[in-house]
Amino acid sequence: MQINLELMGPLVDYLPDSECGQTKMSLNDESTIADLLSLLKIKQRVAVAVNGEQEKEMKDLLKDGDNVMVFTNVSGG
Amino acid sequence: MPKGYTGKILHVNLTQGELIIEEPEEQFYRTYMGGSALGMHYVLKETSAGVDALSPENVLALCTGVVTGTPISGQSRLTAVAKSPLTGCIGDSQGGGFFPAQMKFSGFDAVIIKGKSPKPVFLWLHNGEAELRDAAHLWGLTTGDAEDKLKEELDDKRIEVLQIGPAGENLVNYAALISMSNRANGRTGMGAVMGSKNLKAVVVRGKQKPEIADPDTFKELQKWGTANLEATGMDGFGKYGTPSVTTPQDKVGGLPTYNFNSGTFDQAAEIDGVKLYKERLRGHERDEQNRFGRDTCFSCTVKCKRVTQIDEGPYKTEAKYGGPEYETIATFGSYCGVSEMDAIIRANALCNMYGMDTITCGATIAWAMECWAEGKLSAEDTGGIELVYGNAEAMVQMTEMIAKCEGFGKILAKGSRKAAEIIGRGTEEYLITCKGQEAPAHMPQVKRSLGIVYAVNPFGADHESSEHDGSYKAFPERMEYIGLTKPQEKLALNKEMMRFAMVTQHLFSAIDSLSVCSFIYGPAWQLYGADKLVEVVNAVTGWDVDIEELLEVGERRLNMLRAFNSREGIGRESDTLPKKMFKRPLEGGRSDGYALDEEEWERALEDYYRLCEWDVETGHPSLKKMESLGLGWVVAENEALSQVVS
Ligand code: SF4
Repeated sequence: MQINLELMGPLVDYLPDSECGQTKMSLNDESTIADLLSLLKIKQRVAVAVNGEQEKEMKDLLKDGDNVMVFTNVSGG
Repeated sequence: MPKGYTGKILHVNLTQGELIIEEPEEQFYRTYMGGSALGMHYVLKETSAGVDALSPENVLALCTGVVTGTPISGQSRLTAVAKSPLTGCIGDSQGGGFFPAQMKFSGFDAVIIKGKSPKPVFLWLHNGEAELRDAAHLWGLTTGDAEDKLKEELDDKRIEVLQIGPAGENLVNYAALISMSNRANGRTGMGAVMGSKNLKAVVVRGKQKPEIADPDTFKELQKWGTANLEATGMDGFGKYGTPSVTTPQDKVGGLPTYNFNSGTFDQAAEIDGVKLYKERLRGHERDEQNRFGRDTCFSCTVKCKRVTQIDEGPYKTEAKYGGPEYETIATFGSYCGVSEMDAIIRANALCNMYGMDTITCGATIAWAMECWAEGKLSAEDTGGIELVYGNAEAMVQMTEMIAKCEGFGKILAKGSRKAAEIIGRGTEEYLITCKGQEAPAHMPQVKRSLGIVYAVNPFGADHESSEHDGSYKAFPERMEYIGLTKPQEKLALNKEMMRFAMVTQHLFSAIDSLSVCSFIYGPAWQLYGADKLVEVVNAVTGWDVDIEELLEVGERRLNMLRAFNSREGIGRESDTLPKKMFKRPLEGGRSDGYALDEEEWERALEDYYRLCEWDVETGHPSLKKMESLGLGWVVAENEALSQVVS
């Protein structure tokens, strides 16, 4: 399956060749959010939104065509 | 004597030119820890009810904390407290850089300033000595020029200067204190208070490095910080700085736009923080931003400060005036519908040159722009300047006119609430102020417990006085450490979220009393959690504080601020949010249609009061609460307070 991925803020550095952290990404079927993050080698704690729905869990499954946004948890600033 | 602090507090009476050094007992430091709480001790003791914020009788306290100046990330912060000319409530403001650490090295933990000098002076603190010197030749200079002159005059490039710019001299109600020409104690008009006293600057230099009680543990804590930069994401935060939250805020519908009428800005990509890093930070042409485009505070490994430089054109900017934070990008940018990054960089530099709070300045201009859009203001009022949303040129021009109190700038220099009173015509409908202070760039419609804190916070709307809603769920282990174990759903405004608001507010209040950085120490995403904050305090001082004791210091400080307002007769009636947040649903983006429900909100406010043990009718702290925090003296010594607190 293929998802549309957007990494926010400092997370863009996990996709150095992308256009501002945006890319299409192929994943194995039945991949979860946790699988995606480990593929991206993101170690810090992040928040993930799928198709605009925020506060998704790490164990949630992704499906073909999903729009996935990954945020840091910085909330002050 | 325990370590970490100098044990010396300087009292300055500018009217008489008198300087007295006080050496309080250890218990005093342990009770207040420094920063805001320590400053409030003197403000409450030495001012009377109804004091005019810009009179000689107002007291301005500039305070470091017990760990300031030790070589670990996030400790070099200074807190200023005094009655605020912007709000008429207590004023309180934090700032970082190298000044706070250097002030400690100069031999003083805090400076308590009252009176008014007959002529402009600066205060020179060096190696335990203090003197007042003539500053007539510095009056009227921008911060950068004044700092250069002082370095020349004192023949020392390593002095640090905390000063007012021309805006402080002109008593702009939200004038800031500026150090390094780019760090600000921005909020609540502390620069105007200093200006009203004819005090241009405090200049510090010294070699009295604070001693550390337990150097081995301290070293371990330093190492832990460096080793955990990546795991906590603080390396990325340092690289891209606070501006990196701009696009994420927009995506969740939380980027205040068009004076808070929308949570999304269709040109957000233009004012994005990663873009700022890649295309504007000094050194970006050679990919050397990390070397030339980032700056730090004393001993901080995170280095989150921006350095920008524009060599030519209308928005020419010198690197010494730094670069915009997220708040500045939002207030001068999306609040005003402005998408030119260079204009924002210039407006930020003007605020640093003249010494003004970027949040209130940008938000006040945004308010005027909404008044214009609604036909309540015209070129006749503004002297021909078209305050139309998106007009970057007008935004920059108005910023300078405010600093100089020229034309329409003279009215906006009072802040939006007072400007609305002067202009009338129903312009108060468009205010986004709490207690007269303009709301920072986090939206109560989206972060609802934060909205309650905006309303109840004694010095007006503030985004660094509690943890933001989403963190409760995102950081369960760190939350558990401060007794928060029941995370709630997004947008919840129930009792548990009020407990979250209050407990994290107490922690942030302790952080402002220790006077440390809330990006480094905090209950959630910060580099060091609350557990490590306890360890740092103990390693430096040799005390044995636990988290309960720190939270109590925070609660003590919050009640001191609150008692100051109670003494002024300010209570529940002032604990409100701008009307538009209830009446006018947001337009567009993920928060389209969001508005607050008045009944639900008032109920939450009452839950919060009950948790704080404040009177639900009046909002004043109860006598029992004050006494339990060792603050019985505040009530006993203040006639006006004893009449309202029971
Ligand atoms: S995190 Fe940023 S603001 Fe805080 S101390 Fe470090 S450099 Fe200064």
